[in-house]
Amino acid sequence: MYHNSSQRKYWIFKNEAELDQKRCSANEAFRNKVIESGKAGVNESMFLKRNEEDVLFRHYERRLLDFCCAFKPPMPKSVVGTALTYFRRFYLNNSVMEYHPRIIMLTCAYLSCKVDEFNVSSTQFVGNLLQETPAGQERVLEQILEYELLLIQQLNFHLVVHNPYRPLEGLLIDLKTRYPALENPESLRKSADDFLTQAVMTDAGLLCSPSQIALTAILNSASRAGLSMESYLNECLGLKEDKDSLSKMFELMRRTKTLLKKYELPKPEEVNIYKQKLERIHAEFSSSSNKRKRGYEEDDHVAKEARLEEEVRSFFSTGFIKADAY
Amino acid sequence: MDDQGCPRCKTTKYRNPSLKLMVNVCGHTLCENCVEMLFVRGAGNCVQCNTPLRKNNFRVQLFEDPTVDKEVEIRKKVMKIYNKRECDFQSLREYNDYLEQVEDIVYNLTNNVDVENTKLRMEQYQRENKDVIQRNKAKLTREQEELEELLLLEQQSNEQRRLEVLQEEQRQLQAKRKSKQALLDELEQSKLPATLLLAQHKVRAAQLETEIEQQKQNVKPTSLFSTGIQMNHTVSLQPLPRIEEALYLYKPLHVETYGPPVPELEQLGRYGYLNHVRGSLPQDTAGGYTSALACYRAIQDAFSGLFPPKF
Repeated sequence: MYHNSSQRKYWIFKNEAELDQKRCSANEAFRNKVIESGKAGVNESMFLKRNEEDVLFRHYERRLLDFCCAFKPPMPKSVVGTALTYFRRFYLNNSVMEYHPRIIMLTCAYLSCKVDEFNVSSTQFVGNLLQETPAGQERVLEQILEYELLLIQQLNFHLVVHNPYRPLEGLLIDLKTRYPALENPESLRKSADDFLTQAVMTDAGLLCSPSQIALTAILNSASRAGLSMESYLNECLGLKEDKDSLSKMFELMRRTKTLLKKYELPKPEEVNIYKQKLERIHAEFSSSSNKRKRGYEEDDHVAKEARLEEEVRSFFSTGFIKADAY
Repeated sequence: MDDQGCPRCKTTKYRNPSLKLMVNVCGHTLCENCVEMLFVRGAGNCVQCNTPLRKNNFRVQLFEDPTVDKEVEIRKKVMKIYNKRECDFQSLREYNDYLEQVEDIVYNLTNNVDVENTKLRMEQYQRENKDVIQRNKAKLTREQEELEELLLLEQQSNEQRRLEVLQEEQRQLQAKRKSKQALLDELEQSKLPATLLLAQHKVRAAQLETEIEQQKQNVKPTSLFSTGIQMNHTVSLQPLPRIEEALYLYKPLHVETYGPPVPELEQLGRYGYLNHVRGSLPQDTAGGYTSALACYRAIQDAFSGLFPPKF
């Protein structure tokens, strides 16, 4: 359950400032790494700034959402939610410049299908990439498999994600049972659903628990429809005496709504400019930070040899010839 | 074993699974036939490494990897010289250092690393520790002899027991035959009626049987219970000393859900929650599913983590 899950222990943060700081430090870490590796031709303007990274992140997030919605067979909402959560958590601690979002986004979707027990074979999965030829799909699949272990590692192996969809159902059931003042809670369902879909594209999942998000969704759609639900919170949820908690909850809900309002769709021209910058960065620096994760080979002996060759090759390519080379 | 072939005649190994591979001191293998052919004069060169070899240095290969066989041979020779034991050393550290020395030597000789130096070291050690080596050799032979004697004793006692059992059986058979013969004789000669004689004979036979049974059961009585207490020892009947410790107090498990309390699974129907959940079809209930389970899970999820934690 959520209350003793890894999500509550490790992936819920106090405020947006903390999240911002994490992303900044990821950005900085990448910059320092590139500068320290001593590659020629590096200058500050080549790196992406925080806001540019954000725009790209939102663009690829939207693409992930579209991919999941166009998926055949149709993906359940929880799988979509899990994939987007993985995407968001991954880029909390890593920079967009280090790992290209286009592969990570597919890896997130693939992993969340596995974790949420939505059984799709790998060929079926890449078959959904309609713009590629079958050979291209194979290549994408290989890339996905390479990055899968890295993704799991960066998620710190916390793979279970609690989404707000089931709490929403639970709250609706509770409303219908204990709150006869509200005549038709079903009418709230549609706009609450839309609220949740929008909320998954924001940082709300990293700041509030899923049941709080669901409650916010319901209260929002109730106020939109002009219905008052004050007494629900007081009576049914037993918060009449606990003014402190009540005010904290309202505060939280207000912050969530602000987050949703702040969300803006990324503009195509900006996205294109930043994408080009990203491609350049990846072309230049990805060979030295070539962390080709070999998670799946059996033959250790072969892998060790190949890795040694790669290291030697990369040494020569960056012009570092050791004096005592053998 | 079939994946290893003789390096010379290659085919013969696969066709003849009973063919044995032989290893020599250089670590290379040859099948029996090739050994015969190449070393018909008693000595020759190894096919792969050209080291001079003798025919009688070939031993049947015991391990799949010929280098292992080579190492085993080398180790045997080294251990004949380096035969100190743990009791010869003052501390465990020294013994371990000595063992490491031995391993180094074996490794060097097996992998042809620094062979001359190693051989020199071996000779030096042999010279220095001649007397210790002799003593240990003597000890080893003594130990082996003792072992052999023990084995012999055990064998002998087994044999004796077997003989005794056989003899016992023979005796019993003879006794039975004698009584039968006696009956026949009496029937011939005695003046008593036949039925009486038969009855007597039966009584005697029954007595013999019981005697045999008793003898079989006349096992030597043991003197020890399996727990180690001696037989016929009175055990103290004092009550055991009382050991008091703090009593365990049961506290029911309390899980903090950070949310409003959830009604119990059984109460859901009474409170009317189940009216708002899709009912379960007969196929579902057959497996043990009830709509209350889904309802309970949804309510739990809705209430879990709803209240902000008290910072």
